[in-house]
This record gives sequence, structure tokens and C-alpha cells, in this order.
Amino acid sequence: MTNQLRAELLKIRSTRTTMGLLIGLIVLALLFIILTCTLSPVNQVITEQDQVGLLSFGSIAGVFAALAGIMLFTSEYRFGTIRPTFLFNPSRSRLFMSKMVAGALAGLAFGVIGEGLTFAIGMIILKTRGIHISLTGGNITVIIVGTIVGTALWGIIGVGLGAVIPNQVGAVIALLAWGFVVENLVFGLLPSVGRFLPVHAQDSMIGFNTQHYLSGIDGTIVLIGWTVVLTVAGMALLRGRDIN
Amino acid sequence: MAYVVQSDSLSKRYGNVLAVDDLTFKIESGTVTGFLGPNGAGKTTTLRMLLGLATPTSGHATIFDVPYAQLETPAMRVGAVLEATDFHPGRSGRDHLRTLSRAAGLPDARVDQVLELVELDSAAKRRVKGYSLGMRQRLGLAAALLGSPDLLVLDEPANGLDPEGVRWLRDFLRDFASGGRTVLISSHVLAEVAQTVDQVLIINHGRLVTESSLDDLTMRVGGSVRVRGPQLTQLAEALKREGIETTMSNDHALLAHGTTSERVGDVSFAAGLPIHELVTEGSSLEEVFLDLTSGDAS
Repeated sequence: MTNQLRAELLKIRSTRTTMGLLIGLIVLALLFIILTCTLSPVNQVITEQDQVGLLSFGSIAGVFAALAGIMLFTSEYRFGTIRPTFLFNPSRSRLFMSKMVAGALAGLAFGVIGEGLTFAIGMIILKTRGIHISLTGGNITVIIVGTIVGTALWGIIGVGLGAVIPNQVGAVIALLAWGFVVENLVFGLLPSVGRFLPVHAQDSMIGFNTQHYLSGIDGTIVLIGWTVVLTVAGMALLRGRDIN
Repeated sequence: MAYVVQSDSLSKRYGNVLAVDDLTFKIESGTVTGFLGPNGAGKTTTLRMLLGLATPTSGHATIFDVPYAQLETPAMRVGAVLEATDFHPGRSGRDHLRTLSRAAGLPDARVDQVLELVELDSAAKRRVKGYSLGMRQRLGLAAALLGSPDLLVLDEPANGLDPEGVRWLRDFLRDFASGGRTVLISSHVLAEVAQTVDQVLIINHGRLVTESSLDDLTMRVGGSVRVRGPQLTQLAEALKREGIETTMSNDHALLAHGTTSERVGDVSFAAGLPIHELVTEGSSLEEVFLDLTSGDAS
């Protein structure tokens, strides 16, 4: 599996796709954190929950990590490299696990870079403006660890989703529609159900603790649960499917 | 004799379509086998089942006596090219090979060796999207050769190649097989592989139609060889001594029946008789092939 993992990491590095996603993430995170921290009136960035929401914006890296994870299978199906990949490594479970680890590592890197930038720049701007930081050391640990762990999990979720839906466009649309539309609708209408959905589970992981959200620990367990569900589904479908 | 590939009652059903129907054959080590049939005959499906990419509906296939997925390091035993276009366009040819060599635990030095072997070393660092079809074919072949396999499986490798590419491939395969290694090459055009293979498996509608050596297939050729020359009467006698029937055509050429141009040429050379023209009438082998595959097998 080490050989296959090295192969997967090289696949990530040897095209521009993942680098493009990373640049997209950095640009988006910088734009958001610089603009909101600089332009928001003081009374909107003063409470603990305001600052959690602001400084955890790096968790948007989860979307990018999931997209990078989706690419690991779908671009192989799209360009046909899945055939040589399986010819060189016919063990589908080993291949899946290698991609899973690669997806998690990519997610981890995205999380560290995305949240690191957001948090560091956000803190600098707020302090420069003389705004009191209401976050405790505990808050900060939860934001940073929650975001990075969550993003790594999203990398794995992306791999699983790509194995479930090998069509690249289909998988990307499914992810975005789910994350930006379906979950918000469900959470808005039925928060008692919506809080168990993956994006909202991650929100609770990074310190959102207003009404309806799960506790940080429960959120972590729920997001891990979603990761397991997609992993099992992806692995099962991958093993049963013929390669055309 | 050891069998490199064995297909045992292999069948594959897609919905109502039986793409491969109870296909049984064996391929001996050291042979070059043409796997022939019209488009849609089930060749690619069969190869996918042999290589573990598709699961048979029934029957089973082995390579070196085990199912492909159970080969210890498959890349070191079998090299296969199924599609000429299986590359990420944004990845360089060399990086494509490196992703595969890493999966097989091979060093980068081996990547550079195969790149040189298929004459792609100068284009190795360019993105595949800038490669011509011929270059892509050779890159696919390079990937198959990474592990120095004993068996090469190629699905329609001549598709879309220009004549120079076809010749390059033919020379390459001859070279590969001369070392006692085994080749299984599929095609829907017999003429493409006739100069390379020593035996043929012909399938149609998913069923085995013929399994024979190329020589045996040639013997079935019903066409004739047309000869012109100054001493045709003597040549007719020489051919008759070899058991080859001849007739005279209206335009004073000699027609030799049930034989090949190679044979007629050899006989006339042995008899010391000059010839000015030696042609196979009709498309000979191709006609046999069409005969075998055009009839509805069901």
C-alpha cells in the first residue's frame, strides 16, 4: 500500500488541478478575512460567536478538500487512467485505502494552509483595529484543531463520493448542491435533523455552539460517521463495478 | 507446454445481450496470437475479463495459472494496453509512467529506459495533451513494458495509426516475441496483424469461430495467385509437381489455386524460372476472415 500511496501522492502533484484548488482556497480565504475583518463594524465582530464565525472561515477548506478528494477517482474515470491504475494494482480495497489516505493528507494540507492564513491574518487585523479578542485559549484550539481535522475528513469524504459517483461533473454538482443548498434548507426547516448533516456537524466541531448545534464532540463523531458511511459505500461500489 | 492465458467457458451478459458466450481457449507461452473479430464481437470484453477489470457472468480466466487479481506483481508478468488514450492530458508522459512505476515499486530509472525504448525520451517532460496519437500509443506501450512482462496484451493497437506507426509497432512486436515472450493482440482487421501473428483466435457474436495457426487459415484461402512471366508452362509444371493446381487466365497469366504468393515465389525460384508479376487475387486471407465472421453465428 505504501507504493500505491506514493503513486497517489504523485498523481496529486503532477497535474495542475490540486494546485488550482489550493490557489482558489487561498484567494477566497484572504479575500474574506481581509475584507470582513477590515470593513465590519466593531459591534459585529466583538462577541465570542462572532469571532468564532470569522476566524474559522478557513473551514471553507473542507469544500476544496472534498473537491480534491473527488478528483482522485473521478479524474481517473474521466481520462481512462483507471484502467492502467487497476492493471498495476488489481486490489481495489488497497487502491481505495491509498486514495483515502492521499485524500486525507491533501485535506490536512488544505486545512493547515486555509485555517492558518485565515486565523493569523484575522487576528492581526482585529488587534490592529484595537478590537478585544473574546476567544479563550480553548476556543482557539477548537477552531484550529476542528477545522484541520474536519478538512482532512472532507478529503476522505470526497474520495468516497468520487467512488460512489465516478462521473466528475456529477460528483462535483452533488457535493456543491448538498453543501450549499440541501443542508441549509434542511437545517433551516428542521434544525433537529439538519444538525446531524455533515457540514453542520463540522460547524459544531469548530466551535459554533448557538442553539440547534451539536456539541463539539458529538459533531466530530457525526462527521466521522459520515466519513465512514461514504467510505464503506464507495469501497463496496468500487469493488462491484466493472471497469469499461 | 505451459499455458500463459486460459479462458474457461467465459461468459459475460449485459442485460439481454450476451457479449461473450461460453468462450474457451488457451494461449501457449512464446506465441503471438491474433484475437480477431468484427467490431462488437466481444474482444474487448474478453480482454477486460482476462485482466480482472470486468467480472465474468460465468466461467473463469487465468493468467499464468491464477486469476489476474491474484498475480503477485501483475506489472512484472503482464503488460496491457486497452485504450490508446488513457492519460491525464495535463500530466507529462514521464510523470504518467512514474505514477505507475511507483505503484509497482519500480525505480524512476526504469521509466527513462522504457521512454527511450519507445523513442519518447525527447517528449517525456511535455504534457500528454500535446502528443500525437502515435506518441500516445507508444506511451501506452511504454507503460505496459515498465515491469518487463512476459505477456503483452494489446487491444486494437493499430487503430488510428499511420502506416509508419503500424510498421513501427509490427517491428516492435516481432522483436518482443523473438525473445520467447507471448503476445495477445486484438484487431478487427486481419491484414493488420497477419504479418505479426502465428496463430489466430477468431470470435463473432461472443463465440469462438476458429482457433488455428495462421498457416492453416491460409490453406483455406479459396482465392488464387496470379503469375506473369516468360516461362509459364514450365512454372505450371513445377507447381504441379508440388501439388499446386494451376489454370491459364484470359490475359495469359497463370493462376495458382489454394496457395500463397510466398509459396509460388519459392517454387519458381527453386526451379530457376523468372517471374514478372506475382499477386494474390482478391483479398485472400481477409476474405476467409470475412467469410468466417459475416455468417450469423446464432
